[in-house]
Amino acid sequence: MNINLQLVGCLLLFLGMSHFSLAQEAQVRGKVTEEGMALPGVSILVKGTTQGTTSDIDGEYKLNVAPSSILVFSFIGYATQEVNVGDRSEINVVMIPDFTTLDDVVVVGYGTVKKSDLTGSVSSVKNEEINAFPAANVMQALSGRASGVQVKQNTGAPGAPVSVRIRGTNSIQGSNEPLYVIDGFPYTGSNPTIVSNNDIESMEILKDASATAIYGSRGANGVIIITTKRGKAGKTTVDFETSYGVQTIRKKLDLMNAEEYMQFYNEQAVNDNLAPYFSQQEIDNAGEGYDWQDLVFTNAPIKNTNFSVNGGSDKTQFSVSGTVFDQEGIIKGSSYKKYSIRAYFSQNINKMLSLDYGATLTKNSIETRNSSGGNRGGSMIGGAISAPPTLTPYNDDGSYTVLATAYPFISNVLINPLNQINEQTSESEANIVLANAALNFMPIEGLTLRIYGGVENNDSRSNNYTTLNYINSQGSASVSSSRNLSLLSENTLTYSKVFADRHSLTALIGATYQDFSSEFLNGSGTGFLSDITESYDLGSAENPGIPGTGYSYSVLISYLARVNYSLDNKYLFTASMRTDGSSKYSDGNKWGYFPSAAFAWKVKEENFLKDVSAISELKFRTSFGYTGSQAIGAYATLNQLNSGKTVFGDALYNTFAPGTTLPGNLRWETTQQADVGFDIGFMQNRLILTVDAYIKNTKDLLNTVQLPSSLGFVRTIQNVGEIQNKGLELTADALIFDSDFKWNVNANISFNRTNVVKLYGGQDILGGSVNVTFINDNTSLLREGEQMSVFFGYMNDGYDENGKEIYKDLSGAEGVPDGLINQFDKAIIGNPNPDFYYGINSVMSYKNFDLSLFIQGSQGNDIVNVSAIGNTLDYGFGLNMLKEVYDDHWTPENADAKYPVITRNLNMRYSDRLVEDGSFVRLRNIQLAYNLPVQNLGIDWLRNLQIYGSGQNLLTLTKYSWWDPEVNSQGGSNAIGQGIDHYSYPTAKSITFGIKVGL
Amino acid sequence: MKKLLSIFCIVSLLFSCQEALEENPKSLAVETFYNTNAEVEAALAAIYDPLRSDNAFGALYIAQLEAYTDYSFGRGSYGILTTFQGLDGNNEGRTQSMWNQFYLAIRNANIVILNVPDGANLSEEDKLKYIAEAKFLRAFVYFTMVKNWGGVPVRTEANMTEIEIPRNTAEEVYELIFEDLAFAEANLPGVAPLPGKPSLWAAKTVLADVHFYRQEYQQARDKSLEVISSENYSLVPVTVAEDFEKIYGPTVVTSSEEIFYLKFSRLSGSEGWFFVQFIHHPGSGLFGGGGYYAHYSDVVANSTLASMDRDDLRFQLWYPWNIGLGANSVLSKKFSDPDAAGGGRTAGNDYPFYRYADVLLMYAEADARASGSISSDAMEKLNMVHRRAYGYDPNMASEVDFELADYSAAMFYELVIKERGYETQMEGKRWLDLKRTGQVKERIKAATGKDVAEKHLLWPIPNSELNFNSLIDPATDQNPGY
Repeated sequence: MNINLQLVGCLLLFLGMSHFSLAQEAQVRGKVTEEGMALPGVSILVKGTTQGTTSDIDGEYKLNVAPSSILVFSFIGYATQEVNVGDRSEINVVMIPDFTTLDDVVVVGYGTVKKSDLTGSVSSVKNEEINAFPAANVMQALSGRASGVQVKQNTGAPGAPVSVRIRGTNSIQGSNEPLYVIDGFPYTGSNPTIVSNNDIESMEILKDASATAIYGSRGANGVIIITTKRGKAGKTTVDFETSYGVQTIRKKLDLMNAEEYMQFYNEQAVNDNLAPYFSQQEIDNAGEGYDWQDLVFTNAPIKNTNFSVNGGSDKTQFSVSGTVFDQEGIIKGSSYKKYSIRAYFSQNINKMLSLDYGATLTKNSIETRNSSGGNRGGSMIGGAISAPPTLTPYNDDGSYTVLATAYPFISNVLINPLNQINEQTSESEANIVLANAALNFMPIEGLTLRIYGGVENNDSRSNNYTTLNYINSQGSASVSSSRNLSLLSENTLTYSKVFADRHSLTALIGATYQDFSSEFLNGSGTGFLSDITESYDLGSAENPGIPGTGYSYSVLISYLARVNYSLDNKYLFTASMRTDGSSKYSDGNKWGYFPSAAFAWKVKEENFLKDVSAISELKFRTSFGYTGSQAIGAYATLNQLNSGKTVFGDALYNTFAPGTTLPGNLRWETTQQADVGFDIGFMQNRLILTVDAYIKNTKDLLNTVQLPSSLGFVRTIQNVGEIQNKGLELTADALIFDSDFKWNVNANISFNRTNVVKLYGGQDILGGSVNVTFINDNTSLLREGEQMSVFFGYMNDGYDENGKEIYKDLSGAEGVPDGLINQFDKAIIGNPNPDFYYGINSVMSYKNFDLSLFIQGSQGNDIVNVSAIGNTLDYGFGLNMLKEVYDDHWTPENADAKYPVITRNLNMRYSDRLVEDGSFVRLRNIQLAYNLPVQNLGIDWLRNLQIYGSGQNLLTLTKYSWWDPEVNSQGGSNAIGQGIDHYSYPTAKSITFGIKVGL
Repeated sequence: MKKLLSIFCIVSLLFSCQEALEENPKSLAVETFYNTNAEVEAALAAIYDPLRSDNAFGALYIAQLEAYTDYSFGRGSYGILTTFQGLDGNNEGRTQSMWNQFYLAIRNANIVILNVPDGANLSEEDKLKYIAEAKFLRAFVYFTMVKNWGGVPVRTEANMTEIEIPRNTAEEVYELIFEDLAFAEANLPGVAPLPGKPSLWAAKTVLADVHFYRQEYQQARDKSLEVISSENYSLVPVTVAEDFEKIYGPTVVTSSEEIFYLKFSRLSGSEGWFFVQFIHHPGSGLFGGGGYYAHYSDVVANSTLASMDRDDLRFQLWYPWNIGLGANSVLSKKFSDPDAAGGGRTAGNDYPFYRYADVLLMYAEADARASGSISSDAMEKLNMVHRRAYGYDPNMASEVDFELADYSAAMFYELVIKERGYETQMEGKRWLDLKRTGQVKERIKAATGKDVAEKHLLWPIPNSELNFNSLIDPATDQNPGY
């Protein structure tokens, strides 16, 4: 935040607190320091007046004041101090960093507010927490840090996006990801990977309607405001941090060895009346064979280096930083690299004008080796556990073993994982620019006109190549490039004033325009003479693919207004209104209106509580408002023709026809949210509790309505349906010891229930489709009255006399059990939504040592283990199995075995057998740091030096049987298919060492 | 004053916003299309798109029908079909996908039939030609559907926007088929403008087949004879089994035998015939991208193949391959493309909906059944196909010829049905051909020893229709057994 704006804010706050006094004035001078270092830019005000100054670059100030005056020293991030002048002419002040977070200023939409004046529900996460351990994506760092924020790691692949749910899921059709606002710019990317974690000063998570309604049609999923670092006037500081870590797979699955594999499949052959596949001699010579996990997974380094320079003068402040992040994946060949340069400048042009300018340039490049999912070993990760331990990756001549034909009984799609790792490359790169500039004009006291403009441009390209050495390949290449550009213009006018000492008012009005354009171009080809050209000579392909291009453009025009009013600093009112006009909707439905109101009562300021020392803070908050979600893409309401190709003779011809979705007349999804909460502090805020309860109703839900397929159109989209989220969030922040030994614990826990209230015609919506041939079903559904996307399948009822699984006959076509097992016998068999999720952060420091622990967990969520179908049940295709299957399967002597009889003639269904408890508690990070006592050693050129060692995910407690419980194969964009593990890239654990140096 | 400035900014935005919120996609709109020849030809081409989909003739349809014949077995998820006990959930899902694609094709045909009469820049002659092509395809799709599902909802240009319509009877479906084919026969060109497009001879062939399927043998005979008499078509000569590549091979653009095919191409790597991947083993290299070997046979366990003459070159289209199901398993290489560039839609082979051989055999059987006796012409047509399969000139008498004197009419029917079975292997025709005779249960029992369940005779009306169309009652309108 610009320091001048801070000053204006401080002025307003202290105006009217005491009466103006006139007395004999004398000069006072002094120096403001922090830990012996000069602290410039500190505001020094004569209490009750507008008279004041700021400390200069050497931390010094002078001021003419009356002896009876009280000087107020304030600076963001430090405790405000009041000093009686008396007869002193020199007053030196040591500013103390502020640990009591309630006095922080938090960034809210289109402005800032003191945390103590918040009326809404906003969580703040600071730089130290975000940078506790190296993470490719800042949202991974946010996991467990704030109540109400659920971060779902979809896969462990380097650079893979995470999905974030703030207070549950609101939409079926549309995105459920929050809006990210980076330095004022509503970012269009799904994860804010443009920003380096080290560059973030703070993140504010806006959760209730009073906070999010100012973002109107983009506010329904919550808003995360990211503020990057700012320079401060004074000595220029240089910070350098570098870390090196090694990631390893958290655990391996215990699979059959070669001998067991042979015996297992011989048993299958015998059970299926076939001759045994392997002779006793072969079995005797088999031994252990290969564990393909060892061939696929590797130890992978992760390197992070960050360099930043901050500083400035009264006139100009700057912050410039650069980051190199380099992560290799635990699957060979996969990697994520990020290079980022960022700058932020503020210039005070004159008393009335100031300028802010920020720009970030980031290059992300991802090399993926995460071919996941698939059936019968048909993906690389599937192949890694399905490949027979009896086979080697290479033939004697060095060529790749073709696993799919190695045995006559083997899966015909089984991939040799090393063949794919080495011979298929898939790399994507993005160059992202985010630049913004603002001119702030303060013509009169309290009035600010801010003219803000920004641009976000993402140029991406992906290159995929399959070499001639890939099995059954003649070389194939595809490339695609795209550009997403968003332009923003925002004009806001803010006015703040205190009337009659007790009425404090801040009013905001604004108009914004943002457009979003996207274009893409892709091309492909198959049949190459040589691998040398990779994907860079598509023209030489024997069969060039059909190139594709596309375009889309949409506009959002908005008007916004907000009033914050406080009476006697006890009663706080906020009201806001935003209207959004979007080009995506049809005429008559383009505009939406999103009002909100909130009230807070600072009970602590009341006389009856003022002198109760045990309670240092008490505030009640309540809010209500509306937010929206756009949920559709551009042109979704138009009757467009799609192009395609067909063949006549041996040539391609164009086709044009409508798609299979019948366009409808659509409007916004609207979310109504009520929130009540309180903040309470004890013992000088050594313990602070924040509690919030909320209820959200999303109406006019855009919903896919199935049409009879004989219409040719199989679906349309309509505004029907309703979802409700309600929940409770608690945060506690405790400073347990505050002496030489310091111990701070911060904990949060969130409970959320997402209920499906209404669907079109009461129809269930099935989703989470899983087709692994052996089992082909929808795992999940939405049903009125049930929680969101619960698992829906058959119920296992033991084995029949032949060891084949049987199912409970729950119902039938007539509503009663009918002796048949069919769709009527499916029931709700699990729930991917946690009962609660939580995070606990503990920071201890003693002398020069810091020890921090960060624990995170999720309780009560289930996972459908689709991977287990292939490697514990599908016995007909030569796939390797968990050793447990070998040890404990049905035989006439072992009738209550965990797994059924070993035969290729099983006809199994999607049942509760596949649903597992996905709860976990995880030691996300543990770190021990040593701070070199530079002051004591008299090293004056060094500000600080820290070396640390840390471990990530070193300990995980879970009952989940597969690699890792943090998994979500169908990703965040699919509202229904949640909590599914289908050969996902496993999450790693790691050990990291690093050094931080400050000059 | 500065406040004024900002108000000015806001006001200036207001003026432009109505215009700014208009959508101008860079794409074509339904409302302004179907006016020029190029536009209508692209709209017509879009009828073929869903038919060529993996979910229809591109793979699933033919893969389904090849899993329950008298000469082949399904494997893996297709194995259950070989029991002739109806569809499991997986295969019900597949027939649903086909239903959806077929109706998408019908919709695209209806769009052409509805809009072309108002086309601004079209000659009356062209309009008739275009509508004829759309109606031909609509009839072809409905014929495919009525054979497999029985009566289905009849969607035409007249009711294409009604959300819910009832299920029609099979007879009502045939009414539309005949009406459309009559129009097509009268208005399609004598020569297909491109291989893969219908000519009036294609319309006559389909018409003959519809009559044939309905056991209307006189009409079937007459229409097939018209096609034969046109002398537009001839059998491609074959001397060794490899010569069948000249008919079924991936690089054949068209042949003298082609009446109406669904065309595929290696071009672009995504317009090939997916089905080819279903029938091969990845180790054989006969499909470049691998293979599912979802269909196989057994030269001992399968009575049809066991009894097939080893000198019949069509028998040599089966190759032995160990797929872990015994020593005698064979796979078909009738449709092969070793040079297909990778998995999926990369094979260049075409789907032969109607070959001249079909018409000859159809004529032979229809002629005999219509008259109750064997004409020498009918016997000659059968022999043409038979000779060619042994490497002889189709038009010259040979030592493998059947002699008129050796056969009664009833024996002749059986002879032709057997020959049809050999000739159309892996073309997705056999099951329907056996059903046509009205004796499918007996014939399957005789060939395989298996009983055909009643529910196996028709596919179920899919959930994608039943669940969302209240005019079709799942209790009373569903096919038997589902």
